[in-house]
Amino acid sequence: MSDPGERPALSVRDLRVRRVSKSGAFELAVDALDLFAGSVLAVLGPNGAGKSTLLRALAGLEPPARGSVEARVVGPVTMVFQRPIALSGSVAHNVRVGLAGRKLTRSETAARVAEALEHFDIARVARRRAATLSGGELRRLALARAFALRPSVLLLDEPFDDLDPAGQEALSLDLRRVIEDTQVAAAVVTHDLRRALLLSDRIAVLLGGRLAALGERDALLSRPPDVAVARIVGMANLIEGEVLPREPGAELAQVSVGDCERVPALTRLPAGTTVWVGIRPERLKLDVGRGEGLPFGKAQVRSVVSDGVAATLLVTWAGHELRTHLLAGRGLARTVAVGDSVTLSVRPDDVHLIPRDAPLTADA
Amino acid sequence: MTALAPSLVAEITARTLVVCGSALVTALALGLPVGIWLGRSRFRGRVVGVSLVNAGMGAPPVVVGLVVSMLLWRSGPFGALELMYTPAAMVIAQIVIALPLVVGITLAAVGALDADWELQVRTLGVSPLRRRWLLLREIRLGVLAAVIAALGGILSEVGAVLAVGGNLEGETRVLTTAILMYTQMGEFGLALALAAVLLGMTLMLAGILTVVQQGGRS
Repeated sequence: MSDPGERPALSVRDLRVRRVSKSGAFELAVDALDLFAGSVLAVLGPNGAGKSTLLRALAGLEPPARGSVEARVVGPVTMVFQRPIALSGSVAHNVRVGLAGRKLTRSETAARVAEALEHFDIARVARRRAATLSGGELRRLALARAFALRPSVLLLDEPFDDLDPAGQEALSLDLRRVIEDTQVAAAVVTHDLRRALLLSDRIAVLLGGRLAALGERDALLSRPPDVAVARIVGMANLIEGEVLPREPGAELAQVSVGDCERVPALTRLPAGTTVWVGIRPERLKLDVGRGEGLPFGKAQVRSVVSDGVAATLLVTWAGHELRTHLLAGRGLARTVAVGDSVTLSVRPDDVHLIPRDAPLTADA
Repeated sequence: MTALAPSLVAEITARTLVVCGSALVTALALGLPVGIWLGRSRFRGRVVGVSLVNAGMGAPPVVVGLVVSMLLWRSGPFGALELMYTPAAMVIAQIVIALPLVVGITLAAVGALDADWELQVRTLGVSPLRRRWLLLREIRLGVLAAVIAALGGILSEVGAVLAVGGNLEGETRVLTTAILMYTQMGEFGLALALAAVLLGMTLMLAGILTVVQQGGRS
């Protein structure tokens, strides 16, 4: 974990990377970013935001136009690419390839290879030609090849690309375990928010080459600094509102939405502030009359979609479409149907207010 | 019909192998690095370079012979070296023929690798020298194809070696020029005997290289 006193494993200061491609010039600008041992930073952002460029810069593969990337570690900094290569030869040979010239004895090398293969559950294919591996096995090979180096910093570019959900699940669990065991400082770029969250404890959001937000995962998920970041971190319910004058002595504030609807919130923003009201889908509750949150309105169910694990409901309230997640097959999710009328409730501290005039891409 | 002394056949064959071997080794030493570089780099004018290489792959040997002769001629720019009508001149001509084949096939093999191949190997902490070795290992099928094509091209080639070598007995006579000469003299028996040696050699070398290439498919 990254407590403030800890020395970072990798430090970025005042970094500018410029790339000129057919689609135009692009600049990545990151003023400060640190990676810490045993901690995983998820780098989120839309396509073209500079996620991969940042990762390559961290790996020392993109020469900075300005600034520095400084590794303060003993072990190597390594990266696993979005499409890992299979060198000709066996799987074991592929894992061994980075160990040549590292002054290891034969048995040390063999032990490291065996350990890395074991970590990622590919020991049984060790003698197979790497070119014959499936996509999932090749990803595991690439991770084993990287971990065999005993890296201090590991950079992962879309590690779950092209994997089926079961493969993603298994790989992310293995990866999390190995990262904890080895205390590597890791950064992962992925477009899959849920995978990123499962793996990470810190989040960086890139927008148009700028670091729009950086912070502890849970804090950033529930308190994104602006609307663009809120959308990227999955705060799907964002509606316009205005903070109402507080009743004397009241702890709770009320935010008006539309003509007559209200949402409770905990805020110090003055009355009259126009805001975005942000509620994460999993924090928006339906018909829970057991003290979990305050009811604030009636909504109509528009659609119910389930993947067997989570059910996603779209409901309309005050002219807005809101989204909520329920555990599939349990409680309300078993009985709710399109057209039903449900009561919405939320804990006031789960309602995040973003002033409408807040500058976009403020640092968290 | 005159009989052909076995020692003469051996001498001509040996000279052929030495000339072609020297040319091949030099063409590989020059052509592999250039092919790898052309295959991996992206710069303005790269297309022009690749086009020149591709055109060179089909260059008529007799034209190569003409150009090399003009350069090595006593009054030419390299006349002072007095290389005309020596085995060295034949090696030079064959290098010019083999080089585009080696460069062209190598650059195609390198181009088939992933665009970030080099970066990926670099992030594993592999030294530059070992990266080069791993790259050659990756493209070895292409390299062997280049060897087969280049060797086939220069072993069977007659126009250039005749132009710059002159088919001097005991000095620059090789299998192809000897076959041509005996054919023109109507000595078909001798020509056939030498042709059998040339064909046998070509088949054997191609066979060996093919076995190596296909065996290295893992």
